[in-house]
Amino acid sequence: MKPGDEKPIIDRLYSLVSKSSGASYAETRYHCRIINEVNFSNGEIELMRNVSNSGCGIRVLIDGCWGFTSTSNISTDALKNSLNEAISIAKLLSGNKKKKVQGLAEVNQMARGLMQAKVKGNLENIDIEQKVKVTKDTERAARNYSEKIKSASCVYREILDHKIIVNTDGAEVQLYDSKPEFVVTAIAAEGNETATISEGIGVTGGWNDLFAKHAPLDYAILASEKAVNLLEANHVSGESTTIILDPGMVGLIAHEAIGHMVEADFVLSGSVAKDKLGQHVASELVTLTDSGESKTSPNGAGTIAVDDEGVGVEPVVIIENGYLKSFLHNRESAFVFDTRPAGNARAYEYDDDPLIRMRNTFLEPKRDTIDDMLRETKHGYLLKGARNGQADANGEFMFAFQEAYLIEKGEIKELLKGASVSGGAFDVLRSVDMVGKDFAYDMGTGYCGKIQPMKVDGGGPHIRCTATVGGLQ
Amino acid sequence: MEEDHTLDVLRPSEVCNETLLSLFDACRTAVKEAVKNGANDAEAYGVNSKESEVIIENNDLKQSKSHKISSLGIRVLVGRSQGFSSVNILEKGRIIRSVVLAIKLAKVSPPDNFNSIPHKTAKIGLLKKIYDKDAVGFEPADNVRMAKEMLLTARSYDNRVSIDSGNFTSALLTHTVLNSCGVNLTENISLFSWSLMGMAVTVDEVSNFDFQIGSTHYVKDIDVISTAKQFANAVINYLGPRNVDSFRGELLLSPSAFTELVQEAIAHSINSNNVQKRASKFKEFINRRVSSDLLSVEDDATNVEALGASSFDREGVAHQRNLIIQKGILKGFIYDTYTSNKDGMKSTGNAGGSPKYPPIVSTTNMIVSAGSSKLETLVSEIQKGIILNRFSGTVNPVDGDFSGVVKGGYYVKNGNIICPIKELMIAGNIFDALKNLTGVSKETKSLPDSILPHTRFSNISFTASKR
Repeated sequence: MKPGDEKPIIDRLYSLVSKSSGASYAETRYHCRIINEVNFSNGEIELMRNVSNSGCGIRVLIDGCWGFTSTSNISTDALKNSLNEAISIAKLLSGNKKKKVQGLAEVNQMARGLMQAKVKGNLENIDIEQKVKVTKDTERAARNYSEKIKSASCVYREILDHKIIVNTDGAEVQLYDSKPEFVVTAIAAEGNETATISEGIGVTGGWNDLFAKHAPLDYAILASEKAVNLLEANHVSGESTTIILDPGMVGLIAHEAIGHMVEADFVLSGSVAKDKLGQHVASELVTLTDSGESKTSPNGAGTIAVDDEGVGVEPVVIIENGYLKSFLHNRESAFVFDTRPAGNARAYEYDDDPLIRMRNTFLEPKRDTIDDMLRETKHGYLLKGARNGQADANGEFMFAFQEAYLIEKGEIKELLKGASVSGGAFDVLRSVDMVGKDFAYDMGTGYCGKIQPMKVDGGGPHIRCTATVGGLQ
Repeated sequence: MEEDHTLDVLRPSEVCNETLLSLFDACRTAVKEAVKNGANDAEAYGVNSKESEVIIENNDLKQSKSHKISSLGIRVLVGRSQGFSSVNILEKGRIIRSVVLAIKLAKVSPPDNFNSIPHKTAKIGLLKKIYDKDAVGFEPADNVRMAKEMLLTARSYDNRVSIDSGNFTSALLTHTVLNSCGVNLTENISLFSWSLMGMAVTVDEVSNFDFQIGSTHYVKDIDVISTAKQFANAVINYLGPRNVDSFRGELLLSPSAFTELVQEAIAHSINSNNVQKRASKFKEFINRRVSSDLLSVEDDATNVEALGASSFDREGVAHQRNLIIQKGILKGFIYDTYTSNKDGMKSTGNAGGSPKYPPIVSTTNMIVSAGSSKLETLVSEIQKGIILNRFSGTVNPVDGDFSGVVKGGYYVKNGNIICPIKELMIAGNIFDALKNLTGVSKETKSLPDSILPHTRFSNISFTASKR
């Protein structure tokens, strides 16, 4: 990036917001996104692509009604037309909308200046040949691990972003960041038994950040070894029992079962959390936070410096020592709840409007060790490898996991096939009686879906609690 | 060592002095530059769209949106290696840079003898009835009017009706395919779609959710009132559900439930890409029975009643009517150029995907042939069973196993609808169920990418939740 390159665009966005006559608020967001993706499957190239997607999203608030337009033509005239269209369609709603936006919450400080994520191994300096070679070699290593591996794939994807946000409330900020991810999937088969395992990582950062924890080939070995081992594993017996969850499972519960319930738009639609602010909803060992910074551990995939309303990020302590303390807000909902927003309004690409979204959502670590948890468990399971799942607005969730280890009398006895774990989110958090001192983010390869996709992360330490294990995957 | 994250590729200053090309000129420039820069063949697929949408939320109009978007996908072959790049600002310098990137990707991609770009064949006739010139005059104010009319119709049907979300969307799009092998096609399409999701609410009860959707290519065929009434009627009828004990019996799927439970498994299994990867249950089943003889399925992008209609596919191959299952016998798979090269077949015109991806085999409009029974007859013949309007759960499209919960269901006994039901688990296998298809209705419904009748299956397992 060359200093000064951005000035013409910033000037253009400034000029736009100053012309938003009649609007109580106007926001312009230039967003350029580059995606590079390499996908090998069973020795063949499955997908290789480079995508450049850029444009400008314009949002205005007029008489309590939002108008949002986007255009990939960012010439002065096209932007002016897009602004006029946003004003025009917002005005169209004003005679037809019953519950108008009452106001936008004050912000401690609108973001200004240049914000560049610090990275180790700038992705632009890693040639595509290397990315292809690593992906190809890793897929081959997964397939060659054992004759029992019948199929394997490896995906490398990087998202490079540049944004400029200018609004009428003082934001003038430009942001650069990059989010690479790497996933290996191995399918083992023998007789009628099959087992599928995915291992991977997604971060905010560079090439060396992506592979700081494990080298690429390690993910191939991890995935294939687990898939082969699972072939001979028995099934979990369905029961309500003590479970120890790994950081990925903790992140999934924090995000899906709790996080969505406390997004203020869901709260206003009647989520189970709506009357619980200030109430005791979890064990006193539970402190659950959503943060735009990568707290506790670096490079969380949901890391952002500023949200898409131009609000600088601050951590939101959702549950503190078991008490529900905060919901997640954009400026509109923060006004309704008479609080301040903390940077949770996020838009996926330039043609998406900002919605209330999570960032890095995690349980704070405490004092226990995984050995303590095992030792003090007479009967239960250690569950590893979060897969996707479903959670309803009433907090009932069902998540799948890849592996279960039977625990008897304080010792791990047997590896069992993955299944699902279910329960009420608050019930499960109330049952938490041990919280580890370890910590990891482990949701960085996935995307949260809420009208738009979004890069988020989640994690925590190992925890011990009670839930129902079993059912079909 | 930590360093500032610099991204030279994102050079915003370039946007300030650009002249944008038309979609056709952008495609032509891409192909010409690709060949000039060393590609032996090249293809450009471009889309321009203008879309306007009104969002409904919590019984109110929430927001108005409008988008003007361009997108260009460039595929090149260098030898037998393929590269792909996409750009959405149709400026010459950016297009050339995208072409150079595509060629660079091709040069690091392993060669594959089945890669090719299709040649121009006979002249392709463009479909009529997918573009309504009146759609040009359909203004954002008309979107607001339609969304409001749909909302008011549903709410005034019964004061217990509550709308969680919905939308009304209008779109005009132009798509163009141009390649170095003589293909040069473009056409305009107009699209309207609308939906409602919500429930009925009383003092002491919230009904199951219902979701209704409507779509058309023509302004005169927009019918938000019927959609709103169907939605309102459904959620009111869901009130007062009762528990039903576990049993094995018949399952009557609405067209919408068919899309959730069955359509994806069939679409996956007839996709030649999945067949070639041995990930299709239909792999060895050409000219063999895959369902009861009541089922006939076509993939037909030339059927203008559904929104998946267009004259040519993502590679510029003419769309056609593809017979898939005839009276229960599997007759063929769907192909794009790459998979057809592998099997020594002709492409069936099923290259799909947006300009952000290289072409990939996709279904267009799935048409299940209407049967000979009236819907009311199908219900009256049920000894003991469930009418299913929404399915919430998972379907494994590879092996066909499904498990989930009946949402918006009715219990039927001795041919009579007894009551709406509380959640009931259903589990089984789609491919087994297809062999137990016992009825197909005369009535069909057009959904955005399908035209489907009601379908009845026997011997399905229903399990009551613990209570």
